[in-house]
Amino acid sequence: MVDKFKVAQPWLTLIARLILGGVLLAAGALKIGSLQKSAMAVRAYELLPIQLANFLGYTLPWVEIGVGLLLITGAAVKISGLIGAITMLAFIIAIAQAWARGLSIDCGCFGGGGTIDPEDTKYLSEIIRDLGLLILGIYLYFYPKGRFGLDK
Amino acid sequence: MAANNGGDKGTRNLVVIMVSFIVVVGVVFSLISNRSSSTAAIPASVSADEGYGIVLNPNSTPTIDIYVDYQCPPCKFFEIVNGGYLSEVIAQNKAKVVYHPLTFRGPESILAANAAACAADEDKFIGMNLAIFQNQNENANSGNWQGDALVEIGKSIGINSEKFEKCVRDGDYVQWTNNVASASAKANINSTPTVFVNGKELDRNTEYGDPVKFKAALAAGGVK
Repeated sequence: MVDKFKVAQPWLTLIARLILGGVLLAAGALKIGSLQKSAMAVRAYELLPIQLANFLGYTLPWVEIGVGLLLITGAAVKISGLIGAITMLAFIIAIAQAWARGLSIDCGCFGGGGTIDPEDTKYLSEIIRDLGLLILGIYLYFYPKGRFGLDK
Repeated sequence: MAANNGGDKGTRNLVVIMVSFIVVVGVVFSLISNRSSSTAAIPASVSADEGYGIVLNPNSTPTIDIYVDYQCPPCKFFEIVNGGYLSEVIAQNKAKVVYHPLTFRGPESILAANAAACAADEDKFIGMNLAIFQNQNENANSGNWQGDALVEIGKSIGINSEKFEKCVRDGDYVQWTNNVASASAKANINSTPTVFVNGKELDRNTEYGDPVKFKAALAAGGVK
């Protein structure tokens, strides 16, 4: 059993890197075109002071792109996985509190965002998706060495 | 597992440095380009104190703030349902009305907001506002408002001045749209349309889509 994991682990790391990295890269790239909307999406969570929310809205897409690129190329995987995991944890908390408070917002995960009709919210599926990505990030933190990566 | 090869460490470090560089440059660029510019040209009817909105009846009360994006379909619906009553309110000087054209839906929202501002300088904002919404394409940034399209929309409501044409073509107020956006971000506007009467936000679920309730909400805010 242990041996099997030893064989599979580098491949699992590769898969985790590509999934988490790909999702982050796509999420960031889709937001870059409209940072006003990105800032609006963060404000709509009504979680942070407005100035901080706007700052995050303008800067977070670039961080997502950076971490995504590092994970895909397999450079600095341990720290990138950790940042990815922390980001996902923050998203889960933000979405969960919006849900609990009864806000009607789009998560703004892949562009979009802001206030929407109550029947259009998809909090549960968003949280489950981010939970899966959080687990991948944690896995990468503990098993950063994998196939086809630049880290040695 | 790949063989331990010390020679590759350089590649890895180079990638880390390049990616970090992209992130830092992107962050700095985004923060600077989304800031308000005090040197941006603004239409005569715009007041920086009113969030850079286009102000109609500056000396009247109460104040109605309207945030729209010309490419937002619910905003078009709002204009069709309530625009007629609003233009009555404005024509009869029953309220100060401040329009904030936002541009988060992309480049053609900026072109439309610029053209609306150009029309404001011709005292034709209300007509242009309605005409732009009537011409809205259901797909954002479809090319609908590229070229001379917005000049033609202006002509269709009787704006024939060369100054207007030049203003639309040169994008005189493009930078100003960034100021409107920046002010709306600080004012925590998270959706369009958003309407305030004397700073009190109308109920999104009931008062935007129903002309009777909209009228009642304005009356409650002091519009006689």
